[in-house]
Amino acid sequence: MLNTARINLRLFWDGAVLSYIALFRWLRPSTYIASKVFGPLVYMLFFVLLGRYATGSSDASFFVIGNAIQMCAWSGIYGITMSITGDHWDGTLPYVFGAPANRLIVFLGRAFIHVIDGYLGVVLGFFWGITLLGLDLSQTSLPALALVVLITTISTSGLGMLLGCLSLMTRNVMFVNNTVFFGLLLFAGANVDVATFPGWMQSISYALPLTRGIQAGRAIVAGADLSQVSGLLSTEFLFGLIYIALGYVLFRWFEKQAKRRGTLEAV
Amino acid sequence: MTLKTIKAYARAVAITFEITLRQNFSDAFIIFAVIVQPMIIAILALWMLRDIGGDIGIFVIVGSGLTGLWSGLLFISGNSITGERWVGTLEGLVASPTPMAVIVFGKNLANVFQSLASMIASYIAVALLFDLRITIEQPWLFAASLLVTVVAFICFGLIMAGLFVINPAFAQFQNGLEFPIYILAGFLFPIAMLPGWTTPISYVLAPYWAAVALHGSATGSVPPAEIGFAWLMMLVFSLVYVLASGRIFRIVLRKARVDATLSMQ
Amino acid sequence: MNAIQVDHLRRVFTTNVGRFRRESKEVVAVDDVSFAVGDGELFGLLGPNGAGKTTTVKMLTTLLIPTSGSARVGGFDVEHESQKISSTIGFIFGGERGLYWRLSGIDNLRYFASLYHVEPAVAAKRIPYLLDLVGLKDRGNEKVEGYSRGMKQRLHIARALIHDPQILFLDEPTIGLDPVGARELRLVIRNLQAEKKTILLTTHYMFEADMLCQRIAVIDKGNIVALDTPEELKKLVLDLSVIEVEVFGVQDDLLEKIRKQKFVDNVSVENRDQRQILTVQTPRGSEAIPDLMAIFDGRRVGKVTSREPTLEDAYVRLVGGDA
Ligand SMILES: Nc1ncnc2c1ncn2[C@@H]1O[C@H](COP(=O)(O)OP(=O)(O)OP(=O)(O)O)[C@@H](O)[C@H]1O
Ligand SMILES: [Mg+2]
Repeated sequence: MLNTARINLRLFWDGAVLSYIALFRWLRPSTYIASKVFGPLVYMLFFVLLGRYATGSSDASFFVIGNAIQMCAWSGIYGITMSITGDHWDGTLPYVFGAPANRLIVFLGRAFIHVIDGYLGVVLGFFWGITLLGLDLSQTSLPALALVVLITTISTSGLGMLLGCLSLMTRNVMFVNNTVFFGLLLFAGANVDVATFPGWMQSISYALPLTRGIQAGRAIVAGADLSQVSGLLSTEFLFGLIYIALGYVLFRWFEKQAKRRGTLEAV
Repeated sequence: MTLKTIKAYARAVAITFEITLRQNFSDAFIIFAVIVQPMIIAILALWMLRDIGGDIGIFVIVGSGLTGLWSGLLFISGNSITGERWVGTLEGLVASPTPMAVIVFGKNLANVFQSLASMIASYIAVALLFDLRITIEQPWLFAASLLVTVVAFICFGLIMAGLFVINPAFAQFQNGLEFPIYILAGFLFPIAMLPGWTTPISYVLAPYWAAVALHGSATGSVPPAEIGFAWLMMLVFSLVYVLASGRIFRIVLRKARVDATLSMQ
Repeated sequence: MNAIQVDHLRRVFTTNVGRFRRESKEVVAVDDVSFAVGDGELFGLLGPNGAGKTTTVKMLTTLLIPTSGSARVGGFDVEHESQKISSTIGFIFGGERGLYWRLSGIDNLRYFASLYHVEPAVAAKRIPYLLDLVGLKDRGNEKVEGYSRGMKQRLHIARALIHDPQILFLDEPTIGLDPVGARELRLVIRNLQAEKKTILLTTHYMFEADMLCQRIAVIDKGNIVALDTPEELKKLVLDLSVIEVEVFGVQDDLLEKIRKQKFVDNVSVENRDQRQILTVQTPRGSEAIPDLMAIFDGRRVGKVTSREPTLEDAYVRLVGGDA
């Protein structure tokens, strides 16, 4: 029993670390930092400036919070999909499927590092917000904010896992990723109040992760305590779990199909 | 250069244009960059800016269109040479008697031309979702501005393609150049929103002058003389880019022949 | 004037090794190579994997700059006059890359015709002619991504001939072709030779070199170890004859033991299905068979034959036994 746990832990850890290294092995450290630190800052600046232009007000906290939390979608969408499909491209998928490893653990291991990475991305987003964009956290319960960010990162990564598995079936991984990322940018309400959307757009917004997390984040920053956002948070978390479950089912289905048809290598 | 060579180059440009367009049509990445992304940006920006009123409809269409034009230039034209390297055709092109600059020019012509789809996509998105008056105040000036913009972007693309070959970590640089130009060129909000020290940077960017001319002529907010000045700036930059690109290509290709990077191992 | 003139050509590659700490390592791909190919000559470059054949051809086709030494093709310097060389040469490198997969074969040819300044009217006649020549007449309108390996290779050949170049560099042109296709291609090469084209050919197939080339340079570890006509090269092994022994599983120590025998000049092994063929070069001819059998010491052997040496044997003698 203890031994199984140890094996699973190693499996989890190896999958996590390896998928992360594999993803970034072609990057130099300097470009890694550039892509992780400055890339998101520039996105954020663009939308915050656009928001300031729209509202004519220098208080941009609405946009700063929205875009800071949106940061988790970088790792949550791009990172996770690439780590799942990465195998596919390298032709190593048969080894993953062939190993007697617990599939769920392999699956979660792949996502784990990206959740941490996404979390740090949001922290960095808030850091830029405070230092460069005048965000004020004096009313904010930081532990509550930390929890909001964690849950939102997990749920957004859940969507990433589902996409990653969908991507195993298409050649246009980047097209799907990009569209979903930009779709989130619009629908999750990082830059707009979702309540102003027409009904059909709101239904999309509330079927996505991130939307409720951003709302909860804004409330917490404004001074709300955890109990006031518990409804938003639990629903956000539930959505995350649903997406993860869907992704996992799809992953297993793909594995079965692939083995049956012998198409592990080619889609 | 003899007339015969000029004719041969013109033919090479024409067929490169045709071949590039046909290849790009089935490229999902390109479709995203010049259609989907500008559409989403247009919807988002208009949702944010709709209370400003006035000519905001056409402003957002032109601005989002410009983002597509720029992203297309950055990711498609920027990869004109490196892309050929990936598929292994670069050696064949370099060894042909047609200079690389002529080939890249033809490719950029196709890319920029097709990136204009971003304007149409933005228009469609805005017209479908919002009930706004959309008119171009000075259609002739606008059309001429678009033409000058295309020229400037093509020429900009020439040096970009060369520079991205020099830098091995080009992909990261590319990603990092997309939004800064959206910001610095004033595509969707005036550069007056930015701190003063960035203004000189905007002034040396052809996309900034493109935005001045296109926004100005579309909304009628800028006097024709200023639009003319923006044209002049774009044309001057284009000349500089073209002259520089000849040199950059020579350096790049020589370096590739020394470093054995014309093909991938 | 020689069509190709190579003087002390050398090329060193610097490669990065190590994933995290980047260290560089130097590889001498071509060490010191000199040769000349006359106008209209069909010249072969032969050598084991990694000998430096492709590197040499890349330098001659102006795609790589030599580390030192010089070469002239059609009278022009490969380093400084690459533009002038471009329209007089055509080249192919074995493999599938280098074509536009999303375009049809015809479009690929149209494109390269234009880049090589072939007049449209000329191209319109030449493209169908070439497609026919390489056996792609019926498939020209299909996208290249649907082509087989060999079909892509054939299209490469058509592409290299599109501007009717005077000098051709063919790096392993028959690689990936089926036997019939390879034979057809050799016929095409013969015809090109009859048209007085200068051709530099690299290949791993000895009979191909023997059949086509007027002269052959054998290159090993970046240096030319022999350069002569196929007939003269064969004379290198005239003093020897060859015994071929069919064996079933052969250990390294046995090979070593055979190699050490005084009467054995060279041994090589070739895998064939379940068996191996041991090729033993010896000056004693078939007389050596009993001594050889003694070494096998009762191990199971199949057919044992003795024959006259071929170009391949000369080659094996020149570059060692692992060919
Ligand atoms: N771009 C490169 N960078 C580093 N090393 C290289 C490069 N190209 C070739 N080499 C090395 O140079 C040597 C000669 O390679 P080359 O391709 O010329 O051999 P070859 O004779 O064509 O072999 P083959 O018969 O396998 O085609 C090899 O050791 C190879 O690894
Ligand atoms: Mg080779």
